[in-house]
Amino acid sequence: MKGIWAHLILTLRLNFRARQALVYGYLVPIFFLIAFGSVFHSSVPPLLHEMGQLVTITILGGACFGMPTSMVSERERGVWRRYRLLPASTGGLIVSAMVARYLIVLLAVIMQFCLAWCLYRTPFPAEPVQMWIAYSVVCFAFLGMGLVIAMLADAVPAVQALGQAIFLPMIMIGGVGVPLRVLPPWAQHVAGYLPGTYAVELLDACYLPENGGIGRSKFEIAALLVIGIAGCVAGSQMFRWDPGQRLQPGAKGWIAVALAGWAAVGLTAEFNGRLAKPVSSPAPIKEPWRDVTQDEINHVSFADLPPDDGVVAPVDRSLADVPAASRDRVSGITRMLWDWSPGQQGNLPQRLRNLLSAAAVADVLEDPDEGAIGYVVLDAARREAPDPELEKALTYIIEHPGDGAVFTQVPELGIHGQITEQASRERTGMYAAKLLKRILGK
Amino acid sequence: MLHTCVDQRKRPALTRMQSPSSILVVRDLVKSYGQLRAADGVSFEVTGGEIFGLLGPNGAGKTTVIECVLGLRQPDSGEIRIGGLDARGHSNAVKRQIGAVLQSTALQDAITPREALELFGAFYPDALPAGELLERFGLTARGGSRFETLSGGERQRLALALAFVNQPSLLVLDEPTSGLDPQVRRGLHDMIRTFRAEGRAVLLTTHYIEEAHALCDRIGILHRGRIVAAGTPNELIARSMSHTRLIVRAARPLDAGALAGLPGIDGVEVRDGAVSMEIGETGPAIIELMRHLAVTGNELVDLQVRKPSLEDVFIQLTGGEGDAA
Repeated sequence: MKGIWAHLILTLRLNFRARQALVYGYLVPIFFLIAFGSVFHSSVPPLLHEMGQLVTITILGGACFGMPTSMVSERERGVWRRYRLLPASTGGLIVSAMVARYLIVLLAVIMQFCLAWCLYRTPFPAEPVQMWIAYSVVCFAFLGMGLVIAMLADAVPAVQALGQAIFLPMIMIGGVGVPLRVLPPWAQHVAGYLPGTYAVELLDACYLPENGGIGRSKFEIAALLVIGIAGCVAGSQMFRWDPGQRLQPGAKGWIAVALAGWAAVGLTAEFNGRLAKPVSSPAPIKEPWRDVTQDEINHVSFADLPPDDGVVAPVDRSLADVPAASRDRVSGITRMLWDWSPGQQGNLPQRLRNLLSAAAVADVLEDPDEGAIGYVVLDAARREAPDPELEKALTYIIEHPGDGAVFTQVPELGIHGQITEQASRERTGMYAAKLLKRILGK
Repeated sequence: MLHTCVDQRKRPALTRMQSPSSILVVRDLVKSYGQLRAADGVSFEVTGGEIFGLLGPNGAGKTTVIECVLGLRQPDSGEIRIGGLDARGHSNAVKRQIGAVLQSTALQDAITPREALELFGAFYPDALPAGELLERFGLTARGGSRFETLSGGERQRLALALAFVNQPSLLVLDEPTSGLDPQVRRGLHDMIRTFRAEGRAVLLTTHYIEEAHALCDRIGILHRGRIVAAGTPNELIARSMSHTRLIVRAARPLDAGALAGLPGIDGVEVRDGAVSMEIGETGPAIIELMRHLAVTGNELVDLQVRKPSLEDVFIQLTGGEGDAA
């Protein structure tokens, strides 16, 4: 145990002496932080909903490149061959290398949180213990993958190739770089088989309390543990001490074990209907809203509609009366609505539902700026289509309150909290009626 | 550790039965790679206070034998006992008794000798302090330097210090002086001799036949996976079929035919203007040669007596296949 501890401490020390390790371990995460801050600047504060992705990328980099590069380079030099002569267990040395990487990456993640706060005032995790548990689970899963890479790669360049083969798909279609909600359904299905999806979901859930915390992420934790255990078992069974040592004939079987972990998780998610959520589903093929007649539009009743200055579904007359303290926030939401991807997805009624349900969420949550949000949402919705089409689509929404999907939370717009679907549909219908009333001039 | 002053070269040739002081016993070791038998029934013992050298041409199986002894490879059959323990059954207990310098070991660029010694020492219950090892192996001044800045000699001294960190009873040195300049090599020889003087068993392979001759108490010549000869260097030379040679240069050309007819001279050949003669006993042959020069009125310019060397034995036994690498 004393030897393994000494190995762990020395591995950490050597890491901080290697310029290349410092660049990859700490400068690259800073680069990603700034890049994400530049791209995802629309939320208030920026990066609020991207920290899970950022942390996942940092762990992925440390696990897929950092640890295997270090292990393979030491194996190439004959260091591990020399370690083999020591009275130490293989498992002990592997655990030491993994724990060292866990700590190295942990420091990078803490640094990212600190920098995000300094640069963008992005808050620290509200539940640090939960965040730490989530980090540990994600790290375990990815380090298991890293161990397999280290054993498969004969030389350092092969680590880069194998690492990229895992890193890039997860970044592009695994929900790690590009948010899962904006991916097409086929990519969301593929993402279900990649551990990055579960890493982001778990970290997001633990970062923002309104996302449910660790208690609502049992599947993600189980998925990552399965993937991590499969990787660790496969990696330790394929362990190579010697630079000249070829992979054993049974290695293919162990690679299959590692991949079986991914497949098992993906299939379980598939059968449980966890993949391709309806929010980002494509527009339905049939568009019955286009069949709405003028007569139906004329018969919409506005008699029971609450007043704009009431407490239910309020809409400010203009933005002139917005208090000074809220002006920045409201103008931020206005800007975000322009780029908000759900406002651009699906057919016209779905796009309108998405937009109007954002106002519904603010209303039910009694957001201090609910009236102003109602105003900017109706304004944005008004620009979605010409009036005749809007009249049909809004009438359809009013007549079919249970159709399509509505949002029950919109944290990406800086509105925090969650409401029930029923409440969201009810208020969405009210806002639809208020917009139709304005268009019809009634 | 007790310093012994026994003349190691007076030891018996190859012990057939395990003697009480045998630290390493290898019996009938077999290791194949596909069709190739890299070790084919190799047997030898190394006792405390002895340096045993394994010599053989490239591909003779030296590294395979060493790697099996160190547990880096599993033999197909045979027995390896270290300190009385079965090397396969008591892996960690056996590792605590061994120190090794491998042929192709390097450490991390940024590690310092002191850190390396502290790390390796942490794995043993009775490790020597890093400071003491640095001093013993002449590395005190370089204890805090990065490994990448050490010279070849310093790196090899560090490798020896690492091998010595657990005060092993068996030291396995795979070409420990390879690529080093003669002065550094001589320094390492002294260190290896000190190990012997402390009663440790040393198993050594080397590129250099003269090094084996100078260092080893006994030598096993390995050829195609088998030990084809073993004994002290002098015993091996004595068993050699090579003859002592007289190499003569005279003022006027010598008559090779006439020289061949002299008593005690078995074969004559002319090389580079000199005459080389295979002889039986040196004294009578020189007297006959002098008499011949006097009779023919020739004048002696140069006379060399060349005894058979370990290299001759090596070439004779291995058919001159490559060098001893």
